[in-house]
Amino acid sequence: MQSIVARSAIRSSKGFRTFATSAARSQAVPTEKPVVNKEFKIYRWNPDEPAKKPTLQSYTIDLNQCGPMILDALIKIKNEIDPTLTFRRSCREGICGSCAMNINGQNTLACLCRIDRESSKDTKIYPLPHMYVVKDLVPDLTLFYKQYKSIEPYLKNDNPPEDREFLQSVEDRRKLDGMYECILCACCSTSCPSYWWNQDEYLGPATLMAAYRWMADSRDSYTAQRKEKLQNEMSLYRCHTIFNCSRTCPKGLNPAKAIAKIKLELATE
Amino acid sequence: MSARALGLGPAFRQAAFAPKFARNQIARRTVQTQSLPPSAAEGILNKQRLQRPSSPHFTIYQPQLTWYGSIAHRGTGAGLSVLLYGYALAYLVAPETFSSANVVEIVAGLPDAVKYAGKAVLAAPFAFHSFNGLRHLSWDVGKFLTVKGAYSSGYAVLGATAVTTAALVLM
Amino acid sequence: MSAIVARSAFNRRLANTFARHSLRPASQQVLARWVSSESGYVPGGPIYKGTVNDPTTFPPPSRTHGSHHWAFERLLSAGLVPLTAAAFVTSGTNYPVLDGILGISLVMHSHIGFDAMLVDYVHARKFPILGPLCTWTLRATTVAVLVGVYQFNTNDVGLTEFIAKVWTA
Repeated sequence: MQSIVARSAIRSSKGFRTFATSAARSQAVPTEKPVVNKEFKIYRWNPDEPAKKPTLQSYTIDLNQCGPMILDALIKIKNEIDPTLTFRRSCREGICGSCAMNINGQNTLACLCRIDRESSKDTKIYPLPHMYVVKDLVPDLTLFYKQYKSIEPYLKNDNPPEDREFLQSVEDRRKLDGMYECILCACCSTSCPSYWWNQDEYLGPATLMAAYRWMADSRDSYTAQRKEKLQNEMSLYRCHTIFNCSRTCPKGLNPAKAIAKIKLELATE
Repeated sequence: MSARALGLGPAFRQAAFAPKFARNQIARRTVQTQSLPPSAAEGILNKQRLQRPSSPHFTIYQPQLTWYGSIAHRGTGAGLSVLLYGYALAYLVAPETFSSANVVEIVAGLPDAVKYAGKAVLAAPFAFHSFNGLRHLSWDVGKFLTVKGAYSSGYAVLGATAVTTAALVLM
Repeated sequence: MSAIVARSAFNRRLANTFARHSLRPASQQVLARWVSSESGYVPGGPIYKGTVNDPTTFPPPSRTHGSHHWAFERLLSAGLVPLTAAAFVTSGTNYPVLDGILGISLVMHSHIGFDAMLVDYVHARKFPILGPLCTWTLRATTVAVLVGVYQFNTNDVGLTEFIAKVWTA
């Protein structure tokens, strides 16, 4: 007792307080986390064995030893269970668009999609729908990029101001909000049934929203030519306002609205 | 002068791995290589592309009001149009059998349960297609063009369909 | 050391120029197996037109198939709303013109709907025989239906009256 009093007396004379009766008691013991096993069923296809049909492979991991997002689970599976699992990923923060895939039936970014902690249900992970599969969860986005290139996604103006910057009013700049933030992850286009059936001719919501982003830009002087390109049966008018695109966009953008605006502008010009 | 500049790099490597130096017991692997021109690359890629499967789509995509409502709009429209086309063609081919008086007579002779079921089967698609058509037209002029708007208008259409179908069946 | 010099890059180049004649036939055989890019393009297939850097192309613009078609379709659908409402409240036999316009509008609306389905699911570029066959069958059927509707409206009670009677039978 005297030593304890002496010790606390020493400590208070030094200026700091402690309620512990001994040094060892002040260290906390970490609580053991329970094991929460979750099953993931992931689409697999190997181009080295092309004759073998694609399958769903099952993996079980402990969610308490894993990060909160689906991408964390995929990386954990690749690191610890199956190194052959193949998927695209880069920024892990929802800005690059690489990890776009179909999780539990919805197209989204794996790095932004939280794992459902309900361990009785499994999570199904497929590649983006109706795309040619390079391997496992990696789709071939070549056509998507070719379509994006076809709408000339850059400023075109024959008479830019020579002596100053290209000025734009606040209202005109506001028209681009909700369209310029597109990261071209292809979630929307691959969620559209019209794009599923007519991928080679219909441009798809991502490309059409990009086209409208340049049509609506007040600094661009080629609006009429941009609109003229869409005057055919397939490029724009395969859109039947199904609305899957806006529903699935992981960045909260609204391609359906942009497409409706294009249709209205084409009809009323 | 570096060995690379003199062009002796590969030669050094080969000499290092040559079996006659006792310290290297690594067996020399024989690798089969094929000399192809760069223009062959596209052909190889296309051959691989032809093997690729297409990822599943409507079988795995989550059922949502968006696309289910859209395909229902198409299905109800097609069904009602098939009925219209069918009747018009039938009347053209056999006006007496399909005259209005004859059809009304046949329908009047059916049991009540069949009549009510028939009315429901006709009224529900008609009501849904009409209200969803109004929803489509409002989208075309720029209304309800958000996910929230699409869902609220979608549920309103379903509600209106139910009420109208009931009203039409009891008419 | 002599082995190193003997196998140096310089020597190898010398060796290659003499050996190339014997190598050429083999590489040409291999080349023949890999076909060039344009062959094998199928609409919707995995092989693309041009290289990965070429943008996709657009067909020549035509407002008939573009904005005019869309605007006509919407105006027709919008027009059906007051027509159907009017048909509900009055009887077709009193206003045969209403019946006639309603009949034509309904058939045109149905035709446009069927045509949209054909373009979506059996387009001619993917179905070179079935696509045009379906399209022309649809057009012929629509003409026949228009005749049938006209006959029905003229010789019989008319669409609105018919539906009213059958509904309350």
